[in-house]
Amino acid sequence: MFAMTNSKNLNVTLIFLAIFCIAFYFADFSITTLDPLSEMKSFFGGILQIDISTVPSFFDAILNTISIALVAICISSILGFIFSLYFKYAIVRASLAFLRAIHELFWALLFLQIFGLTTMTALLALIIPYSATLGKVYAEIFEEYDTYPKELEPKNKFSAFIFTKLPDAMPHIISYTLYRFECALKSTAILGFVGLSTLGYYLHGAFMQGYYGQVWLILIIFYLIIATIRFWVSKKSAPFLIIASIFYLDDLSGFNLDNLVRFITYDIIPSPIKKEQTLTQTYIWFENLFVNEIVPGIINTVVLTQVALIFTFVLTLVSFPLISKKFTSLPTRFFGNIFLIIFRSTPEYILAFLFLQIFGPSMFPAVIALSLHNGAIIGHIMGHQSNELKLRPDSTKRKIELYGFEVLPRLYGSFLAFLFYRWEVIMRESAILGILGIHTLGFFVDSAIADIRLDKMLILLICTALLNILVDYISRKVRSYLRLNTTIKNECCSLT
Amino acid sequence: MLIKIDNETISYKDKIVLNNVSLSIKEGEKVALLGKSGSGKSTLLKRLYELHPTDISYIPQELGLVNMLNVFHNIYISQLDKYSTFYNIRNLIYPDSKQIDIINPILDELYMSDLLFKKCGELSGGQKQRTAIGRAILQNNKILLADEPISALDEFVITKVMNSISNRFDTIICALHNVDVALEYFDRVIGIKDGQIVLDKQCNKITARDTSELYHVCDDQL
Repeated sequence: MFAMTNSKNLNVTLIFLAIFCIAFYFADFSITTLDPLSEMKSFFGGILQIDISTVPSFFDAILNTISIALVAICISSILGFIFSLYFKYAIVRASLAFLRAIHELFWALLFLQIFGLTTMTALLALIIPYSATLGKVYAEIFEEYDTYPKELEPKNKFSAFIFTKLPDAMPHIISYTLYRFECALKSTAILGFVGLSTLGYYLHGAFMQGYYGQVWLILIIFYLIIATIRFWVSKKSAPFLIIASIFYLDDLSGFNLDNLVRFITYDIIPSPIKKEQTLTQTYIWFENLFVNEIVPGIINTVVLTQVALIFTFVLTLVSFPLISKKFTSLPTRFFGNIFLIIFRSTPEYILAFLFLQIFGPSMFPAVIALSLHNGAIIGHIMGHQSNELKLRPDSTKRKIELYGFEVLPRLYGSFLAFLFYRWEVIMRESAILGILGIHTLGFFVDSAIADIRLDKMLILLICTALLNILVDYISRKVRSYLRLNTTIKNECCSLT
Repeated sequence: MLIKIDNETISYKDKIVLNNVSLSIKEGEKVALLGKSGSGKSTLLKRLYELHPTDISYIPQELGLVNMLNVFHNIYISQLDKYSTFYNIRNLIYPDSKQIDIINPILDELYMSDLLFKKCGELSGGQKQRTAIGRAILQNNKILLADEPISALDEFVITKVMNSISNRFDTIICALHNVDVALEYFDRVIGIKDGQIVLDKQCNKITARDTSELYHVCDDQL
């Protein structure tokens, strides 16, 4: 089946399979809970214990989650818009890449040290990575709509921009921002896991106490909020929603200048420098950090990422026929779609948390969570693409042959492109899942914070960001080697 | 002499698009450039435009309209450098009635007065071409350079539009592929084939043989 695709696709596939084999050898796949089956039973048994009468007790968390996401996306889109105008400068591109490369949960952990468990922390944790992402994507969108003839372009740059470029780009900008709002809702919910009072906080609490009925209830509320976005967010309602949210969140008292100054001028200064130790002692301090935390953290993050990438690869190839008219009947597609929607819209962090409760902390639950979520996202797009394929009327009716000879060879190129778009996201999530106890970079960041070693934390965060930027760079190189960038423009929205 | 080029040769990637072309156009002339697609008309027009960009209203073949803006905005666009950024923003959000009063008569002449606030993306091909012509008119330059600006218009509208631009512009150089329109509305026709001028005559001196030559030059089937 791979022989059908071009040799470059094959090369890349084989290289990543080889990396997977090495990574898989080092991956820790143990199941540490004593009785995962009974854990699973009691979790799914929770569906029967849902108590709708407790819904009002979550109102505050629901409103908090929605308001934070709304205000954050509003400010991020303004900042992102401004960044996009200066995206041609290398320094802006580099800074945005750096800000983007650090997961919002890491930002939250960082701001927790400065502003505590406040709305301010939640807002900043979202606004920084989101405005960086929006800045980049807006700039790419504007570039795409740079179609006005150069001969006619007015000299007044700003007027030219708002008349000749902005109007045509606007629908695309709005739809992407709306998509990002959905992401912001998920991110806000997850911020609850580090203690901020959003839905995730209650989800986490219910999980820890084994109230699985409540867990299900919160998850269902969460799905409902996300599924109904297009009914309550519109051009007309948006301004009211944002103003209402600002009033709802008016307690921004978390801002404390002294803490900020202390954080920048003292907390994050490497301790040997703070203590004015000798050069050798400083070297030893860095060496210890490097050998004991940075290197193992990076290795584990890369191992988890590469294993999850190949699992995603397999899962996508298996799952997309489930929603494809070419392969399955309507009832199968119906359940296939439900399956994909559930795993697509549950953040990988929540999935990983769930599987960790069931299987105990190892890479196994993390890989399952990452590949289910990403496989569902790519499988959904692939399924739709396969539906649009026009095959000859006399093409084979046998499903396996159809899959191997007609459908997959046609989709394989764009499939790889989707996969490599998600690669960076998987890497970012792999790092963050360390907070749940797997020894990726997030684990060491989290321990550094627990030990109040914020100097270590900062260095680890910088390493995390650099690792992500590196993967992003390789992914772009691979895509351009495979000449995939042009085929993907429309779908990349839901992939970044 | 208003516009003049001498022995110009232009090529893209080894392919010669204009081969040793000399041309001069006097003030007040209305010139039609005839030729099939790929003959070099567009390249010649673009080259002429570069000679005097500030005196020329230019309509490229792709028109250069902003689909999400309405006809008013697309015509007002030619005035952006004349007004302040603030006034431009104001007109983008809420058009000034003064500007509407300036643009409405132009639309009347182009026979599309009811379309002022229609989005360009929703217009027909001919309406789009007339919007681009309206933009060129509002720019208020002496010379019009236009690349196939009336290819999608029907005969009745062509008469309207040609009358309008003949009055509004002193000098017109217009690429066409319709020989009859060229002979009816222009003073001078230039036939272009494979990057070279094969015929250049005043319309009143055109012979039957010239006409059949022009048909030959413009026929895409050959």
